[in-house]
Order: sequence, then structure tokens, then C-alpha cells
Amino acid sequence: MSLPSGTRNYTYAQDMAILRTKTHWALFIGFLVLLLASPLYLGNYWLGVANLIGITLIAATGLNLLTGYCGQLSIGHAGFIAVGAYTSAVLTNRLDLPFLVGLLCAGLMAGLIGLIFGLPSIRVKGFYLAITTIAAQFIIIWVINHWSVTGGFVGIKVPYASIAGFEFRSETSQFYLIMSIAALCTFFAKNLARTRVGRAFIAIRDNDLAAEVMGINLLYYKLLAFFIGCFMAGIAGSLLAHWIGYLNAEQFSLTESILYIGMIIIGGLGTTTGPIFGVVFIRLLQQILTVEIVPFLERSFTMFPAGFATGVTPMLFGLVIILFLILEPRGIAHRWALFKSAYRLWPFSY
Amino acid sequence: MTFRKWISTVVVISLALMLVVLPVLGSACAGPGEKTIKVGITTPSTGPAAEKGAPMGHANLDAIKYVNEELGGIDGHPIEVVWLDNAYDASKVVTNVKRFMDEDCVLYATASSKMMSASMEIANRAGFPGIASFNAPVLHRPPQHIYGQMPDYGDDWSAFAKYYMENIWKGPGKPKMAMHLLNNPTGYGALDAAKAAADELGIEILPPEEHSTDTISEIESLTRIKKQNPDVLYISSTPAPTAVIIKNAVELGMYPGITIGLGHAGITKALVDIAGADIVEGVYGVFPTVNWGDEVPGMAKMTEYCQNLHPKDYGNMDYITSWAQSLIIAEVLRVAVANVGYDVLAKGGEEAWQAVETQGIQKLDYDVGGLHGPVSYSPGDNRLSKSVRLFQIQNGEIVPVTDWIEAPVVKYEEFDWFGQ
Repeated sequence: MSLPSGTRNYTYAQDMAILRTKTHWALFIGFLVLLLASPLYLGNYWLGVANLIGITLIAATGLNLLTGYCGQLSIGHAGFIAVGAYTSAVLTNRLDLPFLVGLLCAGLMAGLIGLIFGLPSIRVKGFYLAITTIAAQFIIIWVINHWSVTGGFVGIKVPYASIAGFEFRSETSQFYLIMSIAALCTFFAKNLARTRVGRAFIAIRDNDLAAEVMGINLLYYKLLAFFIGCFMAGIAGSLLAHWIGYLNAEQFSLTESILYIGMIIIGGLGTTTGPIFGVVFIRLLQQILTVEIVPFLERSFTMFPAGFATGVTPMLFGLVIILFLILEPRGIAHRWALFKSAYRLWPFSY
Repeated sequence: MTFRKWISTVVVISLALMLVVLPVLGSACAGPGEKTIKVGITTPSTGPAAEKGAPMGHANLDAIKYVNEELGGIDGHPIEVVWLDNAYDASKVVTNVKRFMDEDCVLYATASSKMMSASMEIANRAGFPGIASFNAPVLHRPPQHIYGQMPDYGDDWSAFAKYYMENIWKGPGKPKMAMHLLNNPTGYGALDAAKAAADELGIEILPPEEHSTDTISEIESLTRIKKQNPDVLYISSTPAPTAVIIKNAVELGMYPGITIGLGHAGITKALVDIAGADIVEGVYGVFPTVNWGDEVPGMAKMTEYCQNLHPKDYGNMDYITSWAQSLIIAEVLRVAVANVGYDVLAKGGEEAWQAVETQGIQKLDYDVGGLHGPVSYSPGDNRLSKSVRLFQIQNGEIVPVTDWIEAPVVKYEEFDWFGQ
């Protein structure tokens, strides 16, 4: 990590610390205060968007570990999220088990299913692996639609999340629950990337043959990446289920899986901040276009027939993503890193 | 002061200001101006169901414009619409509904059953009333805060099956009915009705086939169906996949030769446009509204608005559905205002939601200008209109072949298999 001039480390702990300078701490505390106080000034709608962002962030962080760090392309992530969502829904609705059991089992079940669909990664990679993960998406959704336990096409109701008798009924309480878990997942991912496991992932991503020659067990680490990535997807699925309250397999489409890939690419593959930037960017873009821009155009240009602005949403969404990938193909995280470097070196590039 | 310190100071001050000022601004923005009654409308105007959602969105807004400009709104005040596209995306519709609640809307309306099923639990939990134009049993069985503007997909099947047995089937024994279902409540709502009533009607139901909204070929599933020699094929889906299935049935030589019946999500002008009039000639369909050009009191004004504002939608029966939906919403508000006063509704919030539901929706007695069956509430039955009609496609036109057929309520929740 590049540091401001004059910042030195005298201990290993200092070297490994995530927050290194007073400015880091000030910004972090400011961000935390702003985040935790946001229910004071955000309405239910924007809290709902924040909750959706938090849930998406957990899943995207898992996908980033799998694809961004370990290089295993997965286009079935929404399917793994569905596994977690339905596991939690079935356990809490049909078996009346506590939310925390549902949450944990959701992660474990999604991780185990991920292991099964990750097995081909030993033999195939790149586009071929992508195809096997697409198969996961279709198989999982087919099973959900045709299994009576999941409610089939009709869907299944999911109770509110509750811990020790406290029900997370309000958008605000759900916000704190989701953001706490999202923060834990991000912290875990950040640290994992700096461990032996993280370095093994990166070695496999950069050149799996060389990694194997260096003594890295490809089977173990690739499956571990699938397990961790899908575990996080399962956790996200569980939270999504308890947040929405009703599950239908159509909520976990292939389009959503592709969007997850788009989020981590736009945010910056193989960085901890990448998923945060990517998720916030895509989800806010979706919401702002749908909720702000289109109604604004409808109100402003009343000479056109009602509904004329609907075509604007997909065009603008596509345009923004295309422009972004052309202008900053390494993701927002890279642009953020450039900004930080420029800020530290200003006014002299010494 | 160095640049770095300067930036840090600015950031800290900005954060502090945002923290303190935003809540104050938030409350200050709600000025003392005149409050209007707001309704939330969300349609899939883009995305995979746009061929239905776009004209439905147009009709919703055109009808509210008509109510505001020509009927004087509600109690002399215009209805304010918070209209949001949902792109047929479940996560978008969830946040849309939260937005409606935040914006003090007194009720919300969706076009598709899928969008309502994705959002209904949030609405039911909050007691926020919703009206779905296209309706499936899962939305209102058991009845809570979601209402169906029209009979559900199960009622379509029942009406078609009854008509088929009384007027078309002439053979001995039980006719074999194949079902091709969209993989969501639109499709499986019809299967629920078949499970509940096929034995009673004397129909043998073959194992159902399913498809998705983006299907491009159903040759394989239709080949399986063909091997079982069905007498009738029932499709409960949206126009684009329905067109694919009927085209494939023609290619396989199944149709003409068997009878094809459609649920109300499938039979519309878009189907004729997509498949071609010659392909869909003779196909039957159930629809809960009148057809364009029918002599009913509400036709002239709707036609005038459609031809002036959205001439391309003329002839599309989905437009009629959503035009009627907006008229029903206006009537709900009018009745509720008459019962509890304007201010209660204009204030929004839980009191307004409850008033709209108990003093508006549940007190309805309205004929929607004859555009579809009369609208009223019966305790224990959240379908507002309970009548459907059978149509047939003849020379590219969708022509009614029956008068209104009353669809009795089916308590699906009493069957063990419902929701499994």
C-alpha cells in the first residue's frame, strides 16, 4: 500500500493495519457516523435502496473473491443467492427455526452447492467454466420451481428476521442488520486477500500452472474460493429473503447474475473496494434512472405523450456502462487509487 | 494550511454539516402547501414484458389525465400519480413500492401479477392496499390487502374449460387438455384452477409443459404434447411466448386440428401483430374487458384519449384494462373521500391506507363505463370484477363469442396442494 510521505511502520501490527494515518481514521469515523446516522435523514425508500445495496454488496464481495481474486468466472451467482434465500425461507417458514440458524445454513448450503458446481473448475477454466456456472443458474432455478418444499412457481413467504426475540420489522432495524453483516463480510474479504489463502487465490488467477508448480493445491484452493464466494451469496440470499418477505424464483434471473459480473468489473476486479464502488454505482444508477430521471422527463416534457420517457432508462443505463468501460476499464477502484496518489503527492510529484 | 489538511478539513466539515442539516432540510421541505391525494402506479414499460407494460402505462396515465381534466379530479382536486417503470424486475418493484409508501401514496397499482407477487408481502405487512390488474390466485388467496381488478388466471381457465365442454367438445369420454404455462403465477394460476375443477368438468389434464418469457422455440415441448394426442391446448402466458407456441404448433401440424385457448394475459392485439393473423386464426381466449368499438358508455372517451395521445395503442386490449384500472382507482378515492373526508386521504400514511381499503375499495359499486364487468367487493373475495368473456380471433380481429360469464370464487387455500 502506498502511504503519505513520512509515514513509517515500526511494528508488524502497524504494517498490517488497514487504517494507518490520522486522516484514515478521521475519514473512517466520519463515514461510519454518516452511515449509522443515515436512518435519521433517509426515508424508507432510500433506506430500502441502501438495504438492497448492502445485500448486493455481500454477494458481490463473494463473487469478487471467486472471480476477481481467484480468477474463476461464475455467471450463476444469482442462482447461489437463490439457494441461500430459499434455504433460509424454508427453515424459518416451514420448520420454524430461528433466523440465525437460517442465515448460517443459507451460507453453508449455498457454499456446498457452490462446491458441487465448482468441481469442473479443476478441469476447465475461462469461458468453459462460465458455461458450467450458467448451468448452475438454470438447474438451481429449475429445482426451486419444481420442488414442493420451495413453494414452486407460487413462491414462499418469509417471516421477519429476528434475533433473541427482537424482530427486524422496520426498514431502519433491517438497515443496521444488513449493514453490520455487509461490513463483516467486507472486513473478512479484505483480510482474506492478505493471507496465505488470498495469495494462493491470486497466484491461481495469474497463472494456475505456475501456482501448481509452486506447490499450491489447485483443487483445494479453487473449491475453497467457490465455497467462500457462494457462502457469501447464500448469506446475501437469506437477508434478501427476510427483507422482501416473499420469494419467487424469478427474482434470481440470469440477467441479475450478469449484472453481478458487471458490478465487480465496473468497481474493479480483485480489489476490496471494487465491489463497494460497483454495487453502489449500478444500484444507484438503476434507481436514479427509474425513480428520478424518467418521472422528471415525464413532468418536464408534457407536450409528449405520457410514458414517452420509458425508453430512456435502458438507453441511458447502457450508455453509461459503455462509456465507463471505455474511459476507465480498470474500474472505479483504480480511479480512486489514482485520486489518492495524486492527493498524497500534490503539489509535487516526488 | 497544506492542501491535504485543507481537503481533510473540508471533508470533515461537510460530513458534519450533512449530518446536522439533512434531517432539518428533510422536515423543512414538507411545506404547508396544498396536499393532494397521491396514488402509485408501476408498470413494466421496459424489459421483457414491455409489449404489455408500455400500453398499460400509457392507459393508466391517460385515464388519470381524463379524470383530472374533465371530471374535476377528486372533490375538485387533481389526483397526483407517482408513476414508476419496474422493467419487470422484482428488486425494482420492491423499492418502487417503498417509494410509494414514502411519498404518501394511498394505494398502489401494478399491471402484472409477477410484479404484484414480488411486492405484495411488503404491502401486506404494512397494510398498504394494492390493486393488480392482471390477477393470479396467489395474490389474493387468502385475502389480505391486495385486490385483483379482474378475475384471476384460474378463473380464465374455468371459463374456457366450461365453454369448451358445452360448445366445442363433441367426442365421447373425457377430452385431453394439454397446458403450456408461463413459469410464474400467470401460468401456474391456470394450473391451480385445473387441479381444482378438471375432474368435476370431466377433462383429463395432461402433464403440463412450461416456458419462459424469452422463449424462442417450443418445438420440443410441443412434440411431447403432440405424442399424447391432445384435443385442446390451453396457454396461459404473455403475447410474445404465446405467439412462439402457436407458430410452433402450426409448424408441427397440430394447429388447426386442435382447439387452442388462451388466458387473459395472452389474447391481445400484440399477439396478432407478433404471430400474424393467419397463424392465430380461430384461437380462443378469455378476456375480462369489452373489445374496442363495443357500444358501452365508457368507450367514446377512452377511444378519444387513446387516438389523441397514443394512436399506436388503439386496438390493444391491455390499454382498456389499465384505462379501467385508473377509473376504478379514481372511484375508490371518490368513495373513500365521501366517507372519511379529503384530508384523511391527502395526509397519506397508515390511516389513509386503512380508509382507502375499508371505506373505498370495500364499498365499491361501480360499472367502469361498461368496459369490463361491474366492480364490487364481496367479503372474503378480493377480486373486484368477477366476470369474463370468451373471444375468438377471426380475420385478425378479436371478436367476442359469449356474453359475460360470472366466475365463482375458489378458496384455493383450502386445497393441500396450493402453494406447494
